[in-house]
Amino acid sequence: MNDIEKKLFDFIKDKFDIGDDPEYTPDVNLFDYGFVDSLGAFEIISFAEETWGVEITQRDLTLYPMNTVKEIAEVISNKL
Amino acid sequence: MNSAILMFERTAKLYKDKIAVEDEYEQVSFSGLRNRALSVASGLLSVDRERTGLQPVIVYMPKSAKALVCYMGAMYSGNPYVPVDIDIPMKRLQSIIDNMRTGHIITDAEHVKNLDSLNLYDIKPHVYADIVSSEIDEYAVMEKVSLVIDSDPIYVMFTSGSTGVPKGVTIPHRGIIDYAEWLRDTFDFDENTVLGNQAPFYFDNCTFDIYTMFLTGAKMVIIPEVLFRFPNKLPEYLTEKQINTIFWVPTVLISVANSGALENIELPYLKKVLFCGEAMPNKQLNIWRRHFPDLLYANLYGPTEITDACTYYIVDREFADSDPLPIGKARRNMRAIILNEEDKPAKVGEIGELCILGSPLARGYWNNPDTTRKVFVQNPLCPYYDDRMYRTGDLAYFTEDGNIIFVGRSDSQIKHRGNRIELGEIETAAKSLAYINNACVIYDTDAQEIVLFAETDEELVLRKVNLDLKKIVPAYMLPGRLVCMEKLPLTPNGKIDRVLLKSKIAKREA
Repeated sequence: MNDIEKKLFDFIKDKFDIGDDPEYTPDVNLFDYGFVDSLGAFEIISFAEETWGVEITQRDLTLYPMNTVKEIAEVISNKL
Repeated sequence: MNSAILMFERTAKLYKDKIAVEDEYEQVSFSGLRNRALSVASGLLSVDRERTGLQPVIVYMPKSAKALVCYMGAMYSGNPYVPVDIDIPMKRLQSIIDNMRTGHIITDAEHVKNLDSLNLYDIKPHVYADIVSSEIDEYAVMEKVSLVIDSDPIYVMFTSGSTGVPKGVTIPHRGIIDYAEWLRDTFDFDENTVLGNQAPFYFDNCTFDIYTMFLTGAKMVIIPEVLFRFPNKLPEYLTEKQINTIFWVPTVLISVANSGALENIELPYLKKVLFCGEAMPNKQLNIWRRHFPDLLYANLYGPTEITDACTYYIVDREFADSDPLPIGKARRNMRAIILNEEDKPAKVGEIGELCILGSPLARGYWNNPDTTRKVFVQNPLCPYYDDRMYRTGDLAYFTEDGNIIFVGRSDSQIKHRGNRIELGEIETAAKSLAYINNACVIYDTDAQEIVLFAETDEELVLRKVNLDLKKIVPAYMLPGRLVCMEKLPLTPNGKIDRVLLKSKIAKREA
């Protein structure tokens, strides 16, 4: 995991009380596998915007899949 | 007018090349929609030469202009459409199919393999790309349309059933024609209206957008579903698409208000904000009104069984944050009465059951006469002729000025983030899991969370239980909290003690 992935991974783990679940990986679909409910997506993106000072626009959200830690991290790193 | 598709026929002649609908992938003009829908209808009819009787068309497609084309194809073929969520659990889709038994199912190339696991009876499967390429037989299609009468079903929409089997609310063309004409006349919709559609197509709030477009030539923009996870991004989208009218479920308007997104922005195009589907709290409505005092705000109310909305209130005065917002008065061609426990009209201020009359009432639940008879009943105030009335199960009272205030439910049906849910359906699903011996589901109204009390011998994790439940019930029904118990508490006569469990939630013991 790169730095962005690691930071996101830990934030989500903490925020959504995931604990040490072996199924939780940077590639798992956070929503399909129930780690995060649909409202949680908002908290993750807000955290990312604040932490890295980027703006994720409504166009980014419709153009790029952001269902895994890796996918979200990629959108952020492309903006840095 | 006999069929709602004729509203579209007239509009499509007037506004041929105007954009009717836009989704993430394409823009489709009125004539484009019409051509595609005629192809779908012709394809359906070519299969049905040997079959008689209604052939409902289950549309199992992602929310898109293409799904809309399928609904229209069904209408042009003289049949009702049955919209289902593309994420519907296969067990639920099977129970809808068990209920329908004949007709068609249209899906896309990506999802067609899901049909392999289903028993389709006499339901003919179609792939969208194929059926939309069928050769148009306009004569045969228009002949079918001419045979439709306004009491024929236009769609069958499945809603949560307390025993775990969804109920197919069967709406007549008359209901939709009435609704669309009333919306146009009341809210001045026309070809310059740009609608920002939020409602899923398996939820009848979408009829507002679809049929306003049909009737007036308005443009319908299907907002990408992903954006509803990010309410703070919605205003930007509304402006980019020049949307001037929204009809959203209050949950979304509430989260936009709570996200702070309304601070320091302009919404230069937005003119009308309407909502329906659950109670709209004045606290968040006041945030909207403070920032955008000149918009029109209207609260609509209605269960699926009466064609989307039967009462409305145009917000015309100030409300304190804690006041309830009225659901208003009955719309044109509908009557709302409130009956007390003796089935007599309730006095002003007296709480009773809200009952609805009028031609937009559903024909009943598809292939389910017993459940139909329980709620579509003779109006007890009319001894003179058959006067069909729908008992909503909603509790309400009249105010001095004739407006209606919604109070709550008389049963265990809830509204959670705008979705209508029978708690019994979740209980039935939970009890079917091998590791749950018994289950009780309670709605925590303060936390707005579905709480599952599970009698089990194991240490269960909510996420894993939900992965199993997701195969049976839609995602919006998944519990937000799980309480494991060795034994559920019982009342002296052996029923689950719901009152005790409710009080545990209230005292924050669960």
